[in-house]
Amino acid sequence: MERDMTVKSIPLAATSSGARKATDLAAALTNWRVLLSIAALCLLPWVLPSKALAVNVLVYGVLAMGYNLLFGYTGLLSFGHAAFFGAGAYITGIAIGQFGVPWYGAVLLGIIGGGLLALAIGALSIRTRGIYFSMVTLALAQLVYHVALQASSWTGGENGLRGFTVAKIDIAGFSINFLDPVSKYYVLMVFAALALWFVSRILNSPFGAAIEAIRENETRARTCGYDVERTKLISFVLSGLICALAGTMSALHLAFVPLDVLHYQTSGMIVMMTLLGGASSFFGPFVGALAFLLMEDVFSLWTSHWQIIVGSIFILFVLFLPKGIWGTFLARVVR
Amino acid sequence: MDAELILIQLFSGVALGAILVITALGLSIIFGMLGVVNFAHGALFMIGAYAGLWVASLTGSFWWGLLVAPIMIGVFGMAIEWLLVRPLYGRSVDDPLLLTFGLSYVLVEAVRIVFGNDGIPFPTPSQLTGVANLGIGYFPIYRLFVIVVVAVVLLLLWLALEKTKFGLIVRAGSRDPTIMRVLGVNISKVWLLVFGVGVGLAALGGVLAGPMRTVNPEMGSLVLIEAFVVTVIGGLGSLLGSVVAGLLVGVAISMTALFAPEMGTIVMFALMALVLLVRPRGLFGKAA
Amino acid sequence: MSAPLLAVENVGRRFGGFVALDGVTAQFEPNKVTSIIGPNGAGKSTFFNVLSGVLTPSTGSIRFKGQNLTGTRQHKFVHLGIARSYQITNIFPELSAHENVRVAAQAARSRYNIWRNRSHFPELGERADAALDSVGLGGKHNETAKFLAHGQQRALEIAIALVSDPEVLLLDEPTAGMGPEETKDMVALLEKLARDRTILLVEHKMKMILGLSDRILVLHHGRLIADGSPRDIQADPDVRRVYLGQNDGYA
Repeated sequence: MERDMTVKSIPLAATSSGARKATDLAAALTNWRVLLSIAALCLLPWVLPSKALAVNVLVYGVLAMGYNLLFGYTGLLSFGHAAFFGAGAYITGIAIGQFGVPWYGAVLLGIIGGGLLALAIGALSIRTRGIYFSMVTLALAQLVYHVALQASSWTGGENGLRGFTVAKIDIAGFSINFLDPVSKYYVLMVFAALALWFVSRILNSPFGAAIEAIRENETRARTCGYDVERTKLISFVLSGLICALAGTMSALHLAFVPLDVLHYQTSGMIVMMTLLGGASSFFGPFVGALAFLLMEDVFSLWTSHWQIIVGSIFILFVLFLPKGIWGTFLARVVR
Repeated sequence: MDAELILIQLFSGVALGAILVITALGLSIIFGMLGVVNFAHGALFMIGAYAGLWVASLTGSFWWGLLVAPIMIGVFGMAIEWLLVRPLYGRSVDDPLLLTFGLSYVLVEAVRIVFGNDGIPFPTPSQLTGVANLGIGYFPIYRLFVIVVVAVVLLLLWLALEKTKFGLIVRAGSRDPTIMRVLGVNISKVWLLVFGVGVGLAALGGVLAGPMRTVNPEMGSLVLIEAFVVTVIGGLGSLLGSVVAGLLVGVAISMTALFAPEMGTIVMFALMALVLLVRPRGLFGKAA
Repeated sequence: MSAPLLAVENVGRRFGGFVALDGVTAQFEPNKVTSIIGPNGAGKSTFFNVLSGVLTPSTGSIRFKGQNLTGTRQHKFVHLGIARSYQITNIFPELSAHENVRVAAQAARSRYNIWRNRSHFPELGERADAALDSVGLGGKHNETAKFLAHGQQRALEIAIALVSDPEVLLLDEPTAGMGPEETKDMVALLEKLARDRTILLVEHKMKMILGLSDRILVLHHGRLIADGSPRDIQADPDVRRVYLGQNDGYA
């Protein structure tokens, strides 16, 4: 699959005409990307108009980043990633609310559950080729939505899941008031930092090179000896795990899981955020999440029909700015 | 559970399937010829329903709505292809899907702005109200009408594809667009027309479905999923596949409704998962 | 005479009603250069695709070092020792030349490792550099592949296949699109490679083939119509009739 995107995770892939300075900057950004991202996110609550918006940026940033592992780096356009986000959220909520599991156990269960769901959906959808894949992931995720809708004794059905508020986080003798917006932000920041570190590790690993080869030229990768289907499946599951983590973050934050979290509209939103920020760039997904959420906040002040503006902007990005905000910025400044 | 009830439910399934067929067919034609998955297909179905309603209320006749709306929306579809989809030619194969996805957002919201959020009832035309005695039981005349219209349209489509020069180009092009270029066929005109026809079919589905459901801005979102499922089961790019799969899904949903109405949609997904396990390219799809 | 390294027996392949390959039987010995020629549509690409596992034969079998490879999944072929290059350049466009070859070298092991940094496997980078040097791309390691000149990209194709240290190299028109000078360089490279590998070549440039090959197979309408030394082939009346009249005049 061909994408017109500069691969920013490999310092050696410099263009022939790049100036030494720009290449050094690119290398520096790549080598320090986890710490730089964490630093940027630490400042976020003080820069944005509301703490709630900042938390949402964390949650959806992690979600988009997990998605981007599959979309931007492996080259697979899934339209069903809401399923893993929702699974993480619901499992966490059910574990805490109905089984009294402590928060860390619930989070772990949520992540594992999301990963297992990703294994199932991935195994079915990766058998399909090309554009089929998008439709199948969409349909299978929508199946999960309908199941959740029907299983209302577990999930609360149309009304969503409630009754699992986490008020305190107890770690190593300290008790953090999770209801305080600032404390909540920095607790969730730890989750986000772990996700950032994990993704960066994957991208730097031999597996990271493998998925990029598949994105660049799947047939060639196969001829080189890569089991393309198995590699894609592993990438799918890793992506699902991270999106499930975002789901647990969302559940802890809202103490509520709306059914819509599983609808394909949410999957579409994930795609939009990733593209707006810049697929196949490390920090792009966070930028995209921020951009989308800011637009939603600002435009909904003017009109309840803010979606038409965001949709139009997205169309313009697909046509004219496929690298996204951060991707275009990197390409221009760090060329 | 007597045989009559089952037969009537079967017939109901065929009527439901007919709508699915006509919508999925439009999707399949567009994909087969242009390689584009039209994510806005459900939204255009919905707009077709609104257009039909609007023309019908203007002219006072359902029949004008049925005739004019698909053509109107088909032309709108051509504009979409020309302005938005064509510039993406040569780029990643996912880009048209992404763009039409964004477009669906815009279209649905635009309809909300113009017509509001609430559903509008689409009155069944007076000539088609009531039930007919089919011998095995009573069946709504309107649903019979839907089956007939779809059958006629399928026949016309088949004739156009098999017997006309344009049809030959469409069939050949869907095997190898490059050859068509080389042979000097004006491929851009073909794309325009095919996209228009595909969208027109979706709009037709919308108008036909109108009297069977309320017309509201969300009615396209489930239809899109259904069209995708039908296309995956039938095989991407296969017209026969869309027909068979559409009827199969319609009947499956209808028969499930006898035992457990809420499980209807889930059964459709289960069918799709089964096909994916056993024959990933779909019942009539081309081999990898 | 050494035992055949690679053998195909009665191999056929059809696509629906169209028979692309029909009952081809041949054996390939180690360290020899075999060229496969034939008019367009003769089945050369299909034959290569069957030999490299891209296609499963409809009939017949493939044996490599005595092991039956028929039906083996494509990605395993390179691990067994059969590597190929493509007629239409098929590289990783956005990656550097070095990374193109390095990722190919990586495929044998460590490919599911998500934990360690790539720099923990320096031997892969070294092998990549060695492969690039051996095909004459020594100075171009950090060039983005899509910016390389056509001849350099063809060389990169071969480097990618070479880095897995295969016993059998299937090269599909390595000189495609090359002028006389570049072709000469490629021939020199192939002669060097042939010293310790088995090479199967699909090519159209007759003079090159006659000079380089130990043996020539001629395909026509999917059938093997001649199999012998260059001299045998030149004298064969069937071949003269079908093919040798179409000399394209190059090198």
